[in-house]
Amino acid sequence: MSNVKNLRTFPGNRLVWHAVIVGIVWLLLLLLNNNIDPLYSSYLALIAMYATAMFGMTILVGLSGQVSLGNGALMAVGGYVFALTSMNWQTVPVFGWQWNAVWSMVFAGLGGILIGGVVGGLAARLKGPYLAGLTLGLAVGVPAIANRFPELLGGENGLMLTVPYPNGGYAAAAVVSPDPAGDLATGAATDPGLDPNAVAGDDQYAELDLSGFDQGDGAGTEIAPGDLISEGDLLTQDDLLTEEDLLGAGDLGTDGADPGVDVGTDLGTDLGADPTTGVDSGLIDGFDSGFIIERWQASMAIAVACLVAFAALNLIRGRQGRVWKAVRDDPIAAAVVGISPSGSKVSAFVISSLFAALAGAVFAQILSFIGPGAFGLGLSLSLLVGIVLGGRASLLGAILGALIIVWLPELVNGLSGGRGWPDQITNNAPNLLYGLLVVAVVLAAPGGITGTIRSWIDKARGKTRSPLS
Amino acid sequence: MLETVDLCVSYGAVKALNGMNLVVPRGEVTAVIGANGAGKSTLMRTLAGLVTPQSGKVLFDGVSISGHKPEDIVRNGMALVPEGRSTIPELTVEENLRLGGLWRNKSDRGASKNVVFDLFPILGERASMRADTLSGGERQQLAIGRALMSNPKCLLLDEPSLGLAPLIVTQILELVSRLAKETNLAVLLVEQNAVTALRVATTGVVLNLGEVVKSGPAAEISSDEELRHAYLGY
Amino acid sequence: MTNFLDYLLGGFSNGAVIALMALALVLVWRSTRMINFAQVGQAMFTTYIALTVQQSTGNWLLALVVAMGAGLILGTIVFFLVIRPVKNSDTTGAIIATFGVLIALQAAAGMIWGGDPEGFIPPVSNAGLEFAGRVWPISLYDILVWTVTAALVVGLTLLFTKTSLGLSMRASAFNPEVARLSGVRVNRMLITGWALAGATGAIGGVLIAPVASISPNSFDILLVFAFTAAVIGGLDSLIGAVTFGIGTGLVISLVSGYTDASNAPVVALVLLTVNLLLKPDGVFGHHGARSV
Repeated sequence: MSNVKNLRTFPGNRLVWHAVIVGIVWLLLLLLNNNIDPLYSSYLALIAMYATAMFGMTILVGLSGQVSLGNGALMAVGGYVFALTSMNWQTVPVFGWQWNAVWSMVFAGLGGILIGGVVGGLAARLKGPYLAGLTLGLAVGVPAIANRFPELLGGENGLMLTVPYPNGGYAAAAVVSPDPAGDLATGAATDPGLDPNAVAGDDQYAELDLSGFDQGDGAGTEIAPGDLISEGDLLTQDDLLTEEDLLGAGDLGTDGADPGVDVGTDLGTDLGADPTTGVDSGLIDGFDSGFIIERWQASMAIAVACLVAFAALNLIRGRQGRVWKAVRDDPIAAAVVGISPSGSKVSAFVISSLFAALAGAVFAQILSFIGPGAFGLGLSLSLLVGIVLGGRASLLGAILGALIIVWLPELVNGLSGGRGWPDQITNNAPNLLYGLLVVAVVLAAPGGITGTIRSWIDKARGKTRSPLS
Repeated sequence: MLETVDLCVSYGAVKALNGMNLVVPRGEVTAVIGANGAGKSTLMRTLAGLVTPQSGKVLFDGVSISGHKPEDIVRNGMALVPEGRSTIPELTVEENLRLGGLWRNKSDRGASKNVVFDLFPILGERASMRADTLSGGERQQLAIGRALMSNPKCLLLDEPSLGLAPLIVTQILELVSRLAKETNLAVLLVEQNAVTALRVATTGVVLNLGEVVKSGPAAEISSDEELRHAYLGY
Repeated sequence: MTNFLDYLLGGFSNGAVIALMALALVLVWRSTRMINFAQVGQAMFTTYIALTVQQSTGNWLLALVVAMGAGLILGTIVFFLVIRPVKNSDTTGAIIATFGVLIALQAAAGMIWGGDPEGFIPPVSNAGLEFAGRVWPISLYDILVWTVTAALVVGLTLLFTKTSLGLSMRASAFNPEVARLSGVRVNRMLITGWALAGATGAIGGVLIAPVASISPNSFDILLVFAFTAAVIGGLDSLIGAVTFGIGTGLVISLVSGYTDASNAPVVALVLLTVNLLLKPDGVFGHHGARSV
């Protein structure tokens, strides 16, 4: 009996339990990701990205009761910080590691925390409609700021992003190895391409026809078959090879049969000999049987989403969650028991901004691009719509909301494609539905999908509870 | 004039009024007294139409008005002066008064206004000033004046003494009592301050936990020591 | 100097429209203590209706009148959609509902009329007037806009201060319970407030149309400007809305002229932030905008 009590009250146990849940979900999602068509992976990536931002909305709008339209702008902050840091600081070693996506994300998160703190500090003093209006101004104003500094922020057209994909994964795919057994052709048209099942050290892997690629030395020196690419070489996204390339003719040429590769661009900064040692450091370990960009995007987005979900779960089901709800429901009573209402509101803002910024960074990586157009008022409204429809105060509702946001336009497109509706109708139908649904939900089912289901369950059990709790 | 029959009002599971029977005749002041939480304000709000009873009837001039809306009840001749701040501070004295009789025609309104100014001269002096410049007692006069602007046949006063000096309270209540007699107005007065209430009232009704404990001539009630100790706290 | 005059006078005209939108927001606030974020959506929708009328009949005045009527009706409809959550004390829900209406209206307009910007033909000349030998940056149309705005402001102020309807509406806003106990049919007063707001916004939308091309999203920024102006002026105050509506228009015009048009939303945001920080009740306002 006492063990059960411990399980319920001891925070450490709750943490473990949450980690287990999130871990299982993560695993399932990864399994799903690896077994579906890459097209669906890209949807998965978007859903995970939106879910990350939605978790923030759950806390801000649901638990803390602050209607904010600012999270789109905060996603922009995260995205821009990510873009700027990963573009400009790429060769800065931090603690001996090369700058990569993780560090950029950390900085994006910090940016979110900072701006979220500032906005939250302002917002904590404001009541409902004033807060909504201020954040509305943010949603409309922040994209305009991007236009203000075209050199730094890319202006209207935004910034193209070089996504720092993890080293070693795909680079191996471009391995041009010596062929000790001589049993593979060298650069001939009959080159069968790489054997996706080969492992490092196995001299079965064939070479790719890299003619047309140069060594990036500025002199246009071509890579010849037999050139080694060292581990330190950075390949850019443009050089990315997708699964089709590997299993196909192995020809990286321009015949259009191999999507996903941009021919003619350089393979990065240094090819061939390692500039420092002058030595070809040899083969790259780890043979990647196929780097599929959509899958990578999805697994990256899922990873971020799961980490954020874990944090959110602990916050929501812990003391902080109760504090937020207490301040939402009765700020005066909360103040009387020693909780600072404005402190609680600010913390909700900061946390949700952090999540939004991380989501923005993920978004930037998915798009390989960041620009003001993607982060306008429409995005903020979408987040609001999603959280309201899914269920304001529930993480599950956040996930549902993300699903709805991504899936509904597709559904409409599918419907209209069959019936030949004009673009005018198809493009606007999702929004019309969203607007009407939001009003309907607020009028009839304020708890959204999850809230309504929960009240059905409660009714069946004979309990009564507010759908908004 | 005003009658309740077995009136029951609950807030959720809490029974505020439990089978209340009350008669409020014209031309006199009826006082309902009792401790806090006895159900007095609930009674007033139910009579005025702000609260819907669970069961029982409210009869005004013989006609049932249970479930009617407050704005209709006022137009039919029953006006409530609610507890607490019931003037609108942002409006002027004149506007507050005019508000009470907006639905009437101009000349009737003018006549009522004169009655109110006669009764409460300070309101006439301060007619164009904002209501938040008035003192507590003056605001209570304004609230009563506004109710009178609807030319009521029955006036409900909910705890008019709250926050006011005893002298002022007595003054106001004596004015109201005089008005009741002179104009054949039915007045239902609800009060925590039993002493003052019983002094101006003809009939006293003692309420406890939603039920009538005793009702009878005011003098009898105020001289009943046991009753006073048990339910009125003195 | 000519530039300054240009910007100033241009700002007056823009400001008049912002003032009308701000007025609409204030009307809704005064009657129901809510911000109707869908207001600009309603104005956009009724302006499209006016456009259709003008295109088919060629009569601008008729278009304006139809827009006003549509504004009255639409305002009433939106009121009924949005007011129920307020009655159940779900003020957060009410705010969300107004955004839902905004989204739906924008989408509906896109569906009915398409997303390409359309232009209005102004009823009177849009060109600068000639006077004393030079062309001034005021046009007949500008004068029309100012006249209509002034007339509307005067009319509304008179309505509120001198009429019984106005008193009922004010009482219903300040203290609905006392108003009901005084015989005021409070619900009707709330509806009237929203209907009037809808009509005011409709007029604003029609007035701005010849100057700016309309598309379903073109009014978004106007919402920010109008909200800013209304808040700075104090949400209870008609005068404040008008004054600061015009003021905001002037500031935006000067900023856009001297620096860059894309600065305008940022400036509005700064103004709004500063105001909410320092004097959340606005310059002419009374009640509390702050929470605990």
